[in-house]
Amino acid sequence: MSSPVILKSNRYGINLVLDDEIPFDELKEGILLKFREAEKFFKNSDIVISFEGRNLSKEEESTIIDLITQNTTINIACIADNDPQKELFFKKKLDQHQTQSIPNSGEFYKGTLRSGQVLSCESSIVIVGDVNPGAKIIASGNIVIIGSLKGNAFAGAKGDESCFVMALDMDPVQVQIATIIGRSADRGPFEAIRNRRHALDPQMAFVSDGNILMEPISKNLLNRL
Amino acid sequence: MSEVIVITSGKGGVGKTTTTANVGTGLAQLNKKVVLIDTDIGLRNLDVVMGLENRIVYNLVDVVEGNCRMKQALIKDKKYPNLFLLPSAQTRDKSSVNPDQMVELVNELREEFDYILLDCPAGIEQGFQNAIAAADRALVVTTPEVSAIRDADRIIGLLEAHEIRRSHLVVNRIRMDMVKRGDMMSVEDVKEILAVDLIGAVPDDEQIVISTNQGEPLVGNESLAGQAYANICRRIIGEDVPFLDLEIKNGVLAKFASLFKKN
Repeated sequence: MSSPVILKSNRYGINLVLDDEIPFDELKEGILLKFREAEKFFKNSDIVISFEGRNLSKEEESTIIDLITQNTTINIACIADNDPQKELFFKKKLDQHQTQSIPNSGEFYKGTLRSGQVLSCESSIVIVGDVNPGAKIIASGNIVIIGSLKGNAFAGAKGDESCFVMALDMDPVQVQIATIIGRSADRGPFEAIRNRRHALDPQMAFVSDGNILMEPISKNLLNRL
Repeated sequence: MSEVIVITSGKGGVGKTTTTANVGTGLAQLNKKVVLIDTDIGLRNLDVVMGLENRIVYNLVDVVEGNCRMKQALIKDKKYPNLFLLPSAQTRDKSSVNPDQMVELVNELREEFDYILLDCPAGIEQGFQNAIAAADRALVVTTPEVSAIRDADRIIGLLEAHEIRRSHLVVNRIRMDMVKRGDMMSVEDVKEILAVDLIGAVPDDEQIVISTNQGEPLVGNESLAGQAYANICRRIIGEDVPFLDLEIKNGVLAKFASLFKKN
């Protein structure tokens, strides 16, 4: 006798293989039973869920989701479309969800990025050092540089326009936030070197009205964030 | 046991080969046993600049492939018996040698020589990889121009990634008249941007063109460039030499002044 509901799961998600002949109410009971068993394993976790073996209407899907969330401590991050159901795919979805819900975390890098070097990170990043022209820093979150930004910075790489780029000495070649790119004023690279400000000029770059804006860091600006 | 120094830059035409020839000859003048290795396979010119082109029988690739013994390929310099050249091949290309073979080749030379200088080709591909494979330290040559500096920055990053942490800067073709007018970066500017210790600044000098064409490195002679290269050699062997005042103009009076001011 085959079970009407089979749970196939990995660390990050559950694939519900559903019998497509039994009536929906029986299915609901089967699902509840199985999830009560699974709860010990998935207690309080974020998981991705997908359905297989039976065509469900939007309402039916909703009902099942509600059933699970109301009766267990499992938190459904999202519903995945059928294929591919590999661990990597679930993980990616989960990572996105988790990064968006922890905006205050970040990574740390000590050292100078030289021309041709690319530093990429999934969250926000603080760099203690310089970013030389020809170097690139890419972050899904914010970028803070305790040093000079003379190269390229790309914040909000996953599309988050509320991200910003901050530097002690803001003199970038290009700054990109989400899909908006700002470039430095047209002047020969030599002029930039000759007119090097020796006093530090901490600035922040952020999106305003579809453009990249750079302003000196002040209390006002930080409050507006 | 010798010190293996690679002379590199990233950008082409900034003075790597000229520097290799002059520093090598200068070290030989200081009685060190020196071998210069041209690692630019396919576009060799260290032999031309040294004036030893007509003495080439075997080359670097021959040694690596086992067609000859090392001794057969090494060419003794015209003037200094303690200075040798291992020329490159002109009819092959950079894929003829790999980094491991370079390490083996250099190790064979370590016993015999005080200094092994590797003249690196421009770029960051196979030629560069071959040249840095066996190096203990690097001289990064750049001119005071933004394009050369960008490339030098890249090279320094790559050297650090390959665990060559002793890099020194040579700023070549400095023109003090342009620096004073504000049309060229100063040595200080370059040093600050690249954040690497300076080992020498060589002024732009017509004499270099003449010396190259004649195949006779000018290190040690009365020209400013010659003095600058001689100072670089002394710093390499560990002496603490003050940097030249490059503002001396090449007038007759100045020539007398520099003759008396021997240091």
